[in-house]
Amino acid sequence: MSNDRSLATLDATAQADLVRRGEVKPLELVDAAIERIEELNPRLNAVIAPLFDKARALATGSQLGDGPFRGVPFLLKDMGSPSAGDPFHCGMQVLKDAAWVAERDNVLASRFRAAGLVFLGKTNTPELGVSTTTEPAAYGPTHNPWKLGYSPGGSSGGAAAAVASGMVPIAHATDGGGSIRVPAAHCGLFGLKPSRGRISMGPDIGQRWGGLSNEFVVSRSVRDSASMLDAVHGPAPGDPYFAPLPAAPFANALAEPPGRLRIGILTRARDGVPVHADCVAAAEAAARKLEALGHDVEENHPDALFDAEALAAFSRVIAASVGASLDAWSAKLGRPIAEEDVEPATWGIVERLGRIPAHEYLKALDLVHEFGREMAAWWEGGFDLLLTPTAAEPPPPHGEFSATPEQPLRGLARSIPFSAFTMPYNATGQPAASLPLYWNDAELPIGVQLVAAYAREDLLLRVGAQLERAHPWADRLPQVFANSG
Amino acid sequence: MEKELSRLDATACADLVRRGEVKPLELVEAAIARIEEINPKLNAVITPLFEKACAAAQSPGLPDGPLRGVPFLLKDLGVQTQGDPFHAGMKFLKDNHHVSDHDTFLAAKFREAGLIVLGKTNTPELGPITTTEPIAYGPTRNPWDTTRSPAGSSGGSAAAVASRMVPMAHANDGGGSIRMPASACGLVGLKPSRGRVSQGPDHGEIWSGCVADLAVSISVRDTAAVLDAVHGPCVGDPYFAPLPARPYVEEVGAEPGNLRIGVLHGALNPRLPTHPDCKAAAAAAAKLLEGLGHRVEESWPECMGEEEFSFRFGSLTFVGTAADLDYWGAVVGKTIGPDDVEPYTWDLAERGRAITASEYIQNVDWLHAYNRRLAAWWEGGFDLLLTPTFIDPPTPLGAFEPTQEEPLRGMLQALRCAHLPSFFNMSGQPAISLPLHWTEGGLPIGVQLVAAYGREDLLIRVAAQLEAAAPWADKLPPVCA
Repeated sequence: MSNDRSLATLDATAQADLVRRGEVKPLELVDAAIERIEELNPRLNAVIAPLFDKARALATGSQLGDGPFRGVPFLLKDMGSPSAGDPFHCGMQVLKDAAWVAERDNVLASRFRAAGLVFLGKTNTPELGVSTTTEPAAYGPTHNPWKLGYSPGGSSGGAAAAVASGMVPIAHATDGGGSIRVPAAHCGLFGLKPSRGRISMGPDIGQRWGGLSNEFVVSRSVRDSASMLDAVHGPAPGDPYFAPLPAAPFANALAEPPGRLRIGILTRARDGVPVHADCVAAAEAAARKLEALGHDVEENHPDALFDAEALAAFSRVIAASVGASLDAWSAKLGRPIAEEDVEPATWGIVERLGRIPAHEYLKALDLVHEFGREMAAWWEGGFDLLLTPTAAEPPPPHGEFSATPEQPLRGLARSIPFSAFTMPYNATGQPAASLPLYWNDAELPIGVQLVAAYAREDLLLRVGAQLERAHPWADRLPQVFANSG
Repeated sequence: MEKELSRLDATACADLVRRGEVKPLELVEAAIARIEEINPKLNAVITPLFEKACAAAQSPGLPDGPLRGVPFLLKDLGVQTQGDPFHAGMKFLKDNHHVSDHDTFLAAKFREAGLIVLGKTNTPELGPITTTEPIAYGPTRNPWDTTRSPAGSSGGSAAAVASRMVPMAHANDGGGSIRMPASACGLVGLKPSRGRVSQGPDHGEIWSGCVADLAVSISVRDTAAVLDAVHGPCVGDPYFAPLPARPYVEEVGAEPGNLRIGVLHGALNPRLPTHPDCKAAAAAAAKLLEGLGHRVEESWPECMGEEEFSFRFGSLTFVGTAADLDYWGAVVGKTIGPDDVEPYTWDLAERGRAITASEYIQNVDWLHAYNRRLAAWWEGGFDLLLTPTFIDPPTPLGAFEPTQEEPLRGMLQALRCAHLPSFFNMSGQPAISLPLHWTEGGLPIGVQLVAAYGREDLLIRVAAQLEAAAPWADKLPPVCA
């Protein structure tokens, strides 16, 4: 196999097929991906910790997992899922300085391994994942492959830039407020945030951010996300709770027509959050595509979406949880993490919003759960899906979210348009996906989000595959895409 | 007829109604007569709702559920019914004449099952303590010995069922509060898996998912029947337990197979000595299980010896109490001060208020990681863990009252009592207390069986097998004589 440009355009399923058929060896896939990373990464800064030697050793050794993705090059986000013996810094300078290394795989990392994936490195993330861009002080900004100098979204921006540029076909990502979906939207990828409890958070924790945060991947094809979900979902012993198991493999959903769905469309964000015309246009274009496929689309949405009290509660839960993360890292490092150890935004969020008494945190969680009930009633009331823009603005230039010690919450405030459409489903625990169906005049991808009822990833995958078949995006490649072999 | 009816479990009562042999009103009137006769001795029922119950029994709208016409009582905590007093054991709510403005989901499911609510049962203030002696309503007495506590916090329900006022009553369990009263009163008490019974619409979870609602009952089949009636997700639950493959009542009489059971005869913590009667109860149950063909060996999850567990778990209840006081203050529109609640409640709340969100989250993280160590034992090949439910026989009334020397007496007592049950509130595993042992003095001592998460089916199967082998239905407390 010498034509690496063609390898770069293959999705994970196709690459795994080549290995299965004996046409390509895992090492060839890995070497080609390393070459692509070496070519592209100086421009994009998506991969911050290469693990090339380990990857090559794994690809040629007997330890390679014999799963559905055997031999496929993969990247882990440097947050959420640690892998044994590898750097784990969560975008934090203080962990980078301490040269922190994870002792063991978490459950998800070990499932990725068992699926046969080969970890080539770690991707960039903002500090502790609390941003809708990926510009940490510790590792510098990641660029959007569609336009250098622009944000790839966040917090899984490193993962999204790596996949969009063809370094790897699929990469690990996490989503506590939109961090899978926003980068997918900004980079022209498919990004599914699974249901609460679909993916185990074990063994170190039972849940993250009070159950708001999930882990999974960003991918180019819908089928890759479907097969990956089959490979890694399901409870691990001792999970405090988990999502109901699907009746059939998620991959089966791809070939099943979704039937005629009732879909509500919402293009308005809450008061004071303007929605860019490109984002409105993207959602409306998706509505027309869905109608053309036989679905009923009407302007409708859950009223609870604009509950300001609930929105404030999400922020409190997240800020308190980030505060707990700082404290937990302090304990692990054996010294207090001080203001100068973290970015102003992180310190500001924790100190101004997160240092609350525990019973206030419980009250906020109660509000989150109450919001979940009010939202669920809309789906229960007859709608199958909600369609929205994924973000309220196109990808912004770098520097847009920078905070200063004087104005530590500036970035957080500026990020509201980028998480306004996504964060509600972290609170409700519903599955939601961003799809790349629209590009604006500047040739920047504008994602649209579909949201299903709790545990209905199957429906999102079914309609996602239907849209992908009708309006394929695989050939649409960004400015910065793998060229060399 | 009345005495006869009082011997029947809920399933038998519902059968009589279904066959037309008894009318719901007859069951309700007989139960009211029993409550009027026995309650003055026990103080189990604090809020009678007799008129409403009689009306419901005669209404053509009485739902045709599997437990149609069966008299039932609700614990005055956790479940709310529209238009009825709801005081959670609080003098504050009692004095403010608080009345619920809605049915909680579980209340609606009880009604849909055909159960008829005759009243509310006593509970300690906000439920974090393992006796039922609230200042607001006075102590509930144990039907087996009225100088003793029926345990708590579902002590009112347990005393009512043990004395056969009703065959089954609602109960809930955040740290043993179904299982301990079941143990102290000679009843069946199943704490279901986390997420098995919805806490909606008021809550998604309570005490970070430690609290589970169901009932205390005379028979295993009644527990299975009520679980069938009320389990399953409600719209918007943040998470829920996996659905069973078949109805739980079908597990009653089903062969459990040869199970591998570990037995732990008492607390591992040397500062919590286990009473010989409680050890004897576990040993006798082990023998009984062996006689039924199961393999019983001395084994338990090692981590049950870690003292850090109780400290971390306790903090959840402190914070929960602080949150409760805020909640009820907001509902009533008055700030709750130290004079509005019992001293232990204020003490717990003050401790809770001193805990930061960060500490709380780290405690939950620690406990979730701990759960994995616990679950590994079941994952490693064991089907069930057998322990005494309690490490003490039923305690005398007043044992929880603080003294000058021991201001924290109540809390320490509660931590002692809840020791063996509480692990499984945090892990979310199903656990059942069964009345298999009585002391020489005639006091019931329950044993606890614990299954892996989601495996109520297994607990019900083996509990029914034990019930058939060592039936307890004819054992009646002196108060019934």
